[in-house]
Amino acid sequence: MGKLEVYFDKLREANKKAFIVYVPFGFPTIKLSEKIIQLLSTLKVALIEIGLPFSDPLADGPIIEKATQMALKEGATTETLFTSLKKLIPGLTIPVVILSYYNPIYVFGVKKFLRRCREIGVAGVMIVDLPVEEATLYIKEARKLDLDTVFFVTPTTEEKRAEKIMKASRGFVYYVSVTGITGPKNLSPAKILTNIRSLKKIRNIPVCVGFGIHRKNQVREILKGCEGIIVGSAIVNYIAKYSKDKNFFKKLPSYIKRFYV
Amino acid sequence: MKLPDKKGYFGEFGGKFVPETLCWCLKELENAYFRVKKDKRFVKEIDFYLREYAGRPTPLYFAKRLSKYLGIKVYLKREDLLHTGAHKINNTLGQVLLAKYMDKRRIIAETGAGQHGVATATVATLFGFKCDIYMGEEDIKRQKMNVFRMKTLGARVCPVRSGSKTLKDACNEAIRDWVTNVKDTYYLLGSVVGPHPYPLIVRDFQSVIGREAKYQILKKEGRLPDYLVACVGGGSNAIGLFHPFFKDKKVKFIGVEAGGLGLSSFNAASLVKGSIGILHGAKSFVLQDKFGQIENTHSVAPGLDYPRVGPEHAFYKKIGRAMYATVNDNQALEGFKLLSELEGIIPALEPAHAIYYLKEIAKRKKNSLVILCLSGRGDKDLEIVRKWGS
Repeated sequence: MGKLEVYFDKLREANKKAFIVYVPFGFPTIKLSEKIIQLLSTLKVALIEIGLPFSDPLADGPIIEKATQMALKEGATTETLFTSLKKLIPGLTIPVVILSYYNPIYVFGVKKFLRRCREIGVAGVMIVDLPVEEATLYIKEARKLDLDTVFFVTPTTEEKRAEKIMKASRGFVYYVSVTGITGPKNLSPAKILTNIRSLKKIRNIPVCVGFGIHRKNQVREILKGCEGIIVGSAIVNYIAKYSKDKNFFKKLPSYIKRFYV
Repeated sequence: MKLPDKKGYFGEFGGKFVPETLCWCLKELENAYFRVKKDKRFVKEIDFYLREYAGRPTPLYFAKRLSKYLGIKVYLKREDLLHTGAHKINNTLGQVLLAKYMDKRRIIAETGAGQHGVATATVATLFGFKCDIYMGEEDIKRQKMNVFRMKTLGARVCPVRSGSKTLKDACNEAIRDWVTNVKDTYYLLGSVVGPHPYPLIVRDFQSVIGREAKYQILKKEGRLPDYLVACVGGGSNAIGLFHPFFKDKKVKFIGVEAGGLGLSSFNAASLVKGSIGILHGAKSFVLQDKFGQIENTHSVAPGLDYPRVGPEHAFYKKIGRAMYATVNDNQALEGFKLLSELEGIIPALEPAHAIYYLKEIAKRKKNSLVILCLSGRGDKDLEIVRKWGS
């Protein structure tokens, strides 16, 4: 069983659901993104999904795409990410997972990348454009290091594939709420919940839902049928708009909290 | 050995590196393609449109004055004479028919210089599809005439403002559209790149170039050529020419990449200067920094201005089946002039790279027999060349 599965068990025992926040590393600057990570830990969100920026994020909408370009300009790289996380993780009270596209990881070296994750205490890795069929090496190495491997299931995933994906997943499964890219959307919670129910029949592993979620009532509705929810673009958009305000670090907590408190 | 293998690999290159949402439609595309490939009606229909609409077969023209000038025997495979002015239509015709057989209603495509966009808009109109073309804002500025052509043909041109605002970003945006509208939309990819099965499909449709050339050269010369030369951006015209000669080991393949402003400056020489990486769904050679971030490229030829190359080329390079070289902007312009002035044929700036490289071949071995893929005509580039001269 994955580390995060144990963590989700504890949450369930405490009668809690996981509110997960995605932020790209290095956005709006490396310093500010370090501060944001620390803040998220004090806010008791359940988990931080930190994005290792990639120049060509083809599953992301304009909000995250722009943030990514900014982060790269600010000097976000695989090395600077590891340096920051190494410094920060000992002081955090919640787990961190890294989300990226495959190329930065492949070029860094899959083994080396995962070893570094393990060394600095990252709980797991999720790779947007690495379907299970291509993931043999990644899964093998992650298992050796006891790192969680989070895979994606989408509305277009057929049952046979879903079985493969659920089997390859450790920690939790990322259910993509819509057929599309990241960014605010109108969602149909009923459909999402039906799909999650059929996933749960395959294997009872925590399921967290992401993509498009930007309203509190979406969070409430969807959490009825799964263990967690991931909000990215909405928060990234807020940061993009207000990070230069004087009171930014006072306002950000209340913006984030209104999703789940 | 079958290339690609079942998982879409050419040796270690290729594959399907895409977000989960697209796995389903790549499978659907693969199944549909393998089904129609054997369907006699489909094969007949493609053949009909290639002949009657696009203008195949294209001549294999002996360039007498150029040959004399260089001291080698050069044949030009005249893809520049096709409808819309380039080899791109071989692929778009094939794929639009595939889309029709798959019952899709809408076609999307990416375009850099606009040639693939025009070829896509053309066939979309011919078969009554709705058509959206993604094009970087920078390219829209540089290629006004092609934007106008696409619009005249009834396509919508969607400006891309993300990233470097060029072809690579147009690709990202087309894929984003596809991820969102997978059920009714057909993504008509323009080169032998992208996730499996695209490199296979585009190669199959472009192989008509090499099949014809082989038949024609045997008829004219009674033997196979010593060299095949073609320019390589994504690499579709080159693969189209090379692939049917793959087993003819004595025929040497030379792919010419864009050296741009020079190999230590901005260029688009993925095979010569790049390293192995994953971009737009496939593992191949990519121009990137040491952290795997994709680099900006430059070439005077818009169709070569792209940071990656098809996986089959990566494989040919790895096993030594093909040799890849570069020709820079200034040299390409020399090639452009050479063909215009000696043969009365104005080439596109992309194959102008290959034309210049003939000089290198001439240095190596006199009297060699060479086929060069003249992949497109130069009308679209006149403005660039005119500005360069002044």
